[in-house]
Amino acid sequence: MSSVEAGLPATATEANTLHTPEFSSQLATVCLAGAPNAGKTALMNALTGGSFHTANYPGVTVTLSRGKSKSEFGPQLTLVDLPGVHSTSASSPEEELSCSVIEGRHPSVQPDALIIAVDATQLERHLRFASFVVRQNKPSVIALTMMDLLPRTQQSVNVRKLEAALGLPVIPVDGRTGWGAAELLSSLYAVLKQPAHKPSTLAILPDDPVLSYEALRDLLSSSEALTHKNLFVLADDSFTAKIDRVVLDRYFGFPIFFAALVGLFSSIFWAARPFMDLIDWLFSRTGQVLVSILPESPLSHFVAEGVVGGVGAVAVFFPQIVILFFLMTLLEDSGYLARGAALVDRPLSYLGLHGRSFVPMLSGFACAIPAVLAARTIPSRRERLLTIWILPLMSCSARLPVYALLLAALLPGAAWKAGLALGAIYVLSLMTGALVAGLVSRFILKKRSASLLAMEMPKYRKPLLRPTLRMTWSRSSGYLRRAGMPIIVISSILWLLSNFGLGSNQPVTNDGPKPRIVTSSDLDHSFAAQVGQTLEPALHPMGVDWRVGVGLISAFAAREVFVSTMAIVFHVADDAESQQAGLLENMRSSTFGATDRKIFTPSTIIGLIVFFFFSLQCLSTVAVVRSETNSWGLAGLQLLFYTGIGYLLASATVMGLRLLGVS
Amino acid sequence: MSLVDALHNKPYRVKEIGGPDDERRRLLDLGITPGEELAVVQSVPFGDPLVVMVRGMRLALRRREAAWISLQ
Repeated sequence: MSSVEAGLPATATEANTLHTPEFSSQLATVCLAGAPNAGKTALMNALTGGSFHTANYPGVTVTLSRGKSKSEFGPQLTLVDLPGVHSTSASSPEEELSCSVIEGRHPSVQPDALIIAVDATQLERHLRFASFVVRQNKPSVIALTMMDLLPRTQQSVNVRKLEAALGLPVIPVDGRTGWGAAELLSSLYAVLKQPAHKPSTLAILPDDPVLSYEALRDLLSSSEALTHKNLFVLADDSFTAKIDRVVLDRYFGFPIFFAALVGLFSSIFWAARPFMDLIDWLFSRTGQVLVSILPESPLSHFVAEGVVGGVGAVAVFFPQIVILFFLMTLLEDSGYLARGAALVDRPLSYLGLHGRSFVPMLSGFACAIPAVLAARTIPSRRERLLTIWILPLMSCSARLPVYALLLAALLPGAAWKAGLALGAIYVLSLMTGALVAGLVSRFILKKRSASLLAMEMPKYRKPLLRPTLRMTWSRSSGYLRRAGMPIIVISSILWLLSNFGLGSNQPVTNDGPKPRIVTSSDLDHSFAAQVGQTLEPALHPMGVDWRVGVGLISAFAAREVFVSTMAIVFHVADDAESQQAGLLENMRSSTFGATDRKIFTPSTIIGLIVFFFFSLQCLSTVAVVRSETNSWGLAGLQLLFYTGIGYLLASATVMGLRLLGVS
Repeated sequence: MSLVDALHNKPYRVKEIGGPDDERRRLLDLGITPGEELAVVQSVPFGDPLVVMVRGMRLALRRREAAWISLQ
């Protein structure tokens, strides 16, 4: 695991050092500050040797990340990566957080010194932010990044002259390769031991943006720290301009964008498939082996089927998540993701969303949990909440096995029809999300708060493989930590409910002739069955019986659990190879009680698809929305709203189809 | 004239920034200050947002935001 963790000071010793002004054997706290896209995160990565995000997409560092500097550089320091700040008249919560740390107003993070990341190709803008930092009179060092991009912008920077002009140490670095990291830290040790007594030129710059930009330009040109190789002061990068002309082209812009999305999705689904099958097989095999070697008891069944099965339910989606994060990191680091956000900003802002909403919506097609986390980069609260609100509608991959089963039952023997229907479901889920966002923004969140796009389009850079892989791992393992526990706990609880019950047929007995507790017939008498049977009247409008109800309840652990529960309730023999075929066969022949009325007819199957389309059957999503919005209100409302809509529309669909003569 | 009407790839100087206070301050902080040179360097499908080069940065601005920026 990395030495870096998100969050605020955890241990007492760390908290004590926070107020120690002098540099001693205890760890000093050093904060990394900078404008968005200054390369702070890459620098953090190089200084800590930990796994960090190095994204070329404004606003990726959204929580405080902490780490310890690598010991090879000298005495260890606690490093805190602050979110990027565009404007010190802070507007987003992340910017406000950074400003409060820098100004010493934050209750738990008190920096002893600061590293200010400054993009060498945009000196004026980044030094203006640096002047805000330096004004706080803390020991500071400037880390000059993006030096390799200077030739592209026809500028050159003289580091010694810049240092002299600013009166601050300026160290050129490249966080992606680690170049300059050692020099940066040795200069930091120097300022920690002996803070400068003469204030930096930056500290006396005026706060007014117009005056301070003017003063900075004079300073940079009179000191000859910055020279332009041609007189075109805009310093555009011709390489970036060339790529933008293609990817933002009036005709090709959207086709390229959609091709990129299709590429991303097909790799999520096709490339992940063999790994998912392997993981699925490994876990079911492990379960079987555990059952056979452990002494026969309810506990061993609980471990083998409840716990191992629960872990497997999480692990099976891991390949998709890893591929999603890998490709998203590549897109971010190259700079294309910001272009994608710019392309879709107009249609999305029409719906009350933000250009940046597209990243969470995209992730939502793999899993809602990373998607909710990705919504943090959206600057305005209204747009962030609206994005989170529609994320459960995006057709996540946990719905895929459910749709696969239901479509196979609905359209037997026609794989291409099922494929087409599945494609239609995906497109419809996106359109429904757009419709809901538009309606909520028109009629409920009527008051439009201030929203600015004003988004930097970073210069294109070739992503480096190692940082990309490190970031992929750190995001994927973060997903496991975040989503893993709730899913495992919930599916264990649901396993218990499905396998234990009250009454004469209580299956938990070790002295019977056949002490197996996990058989399909036992499930008929479990707590889950009792709940299902109690709920049966409510299931009538959907045209299904209590057994399907048990499946729907179990799906709250994770939607795909529906399939395995259906296999149990419809008495499919324990034969892994023919499970899907056997389940379809049993579903087709199953009837209500002793009658010969079929349960799975075209109308009820379509009703179930409608239910899964809308319903928020994922308690992990509810948990993540709660922690991201810091209230149960939105999370609870979302759960009730989508599940309620799913139930009503599914019932209406079944009844409507029956009125139209569809059985 | 406002930035919305600017010809592409032609440098202009900013005259003043309008718009609501918070947004105005943010645009100023981004370096779009009166007297500063900028140019629309790229159009996006549907003509919104505009990609503007200012102070060494490519910045995507919605037409609504660009309309607050008047040019000399």
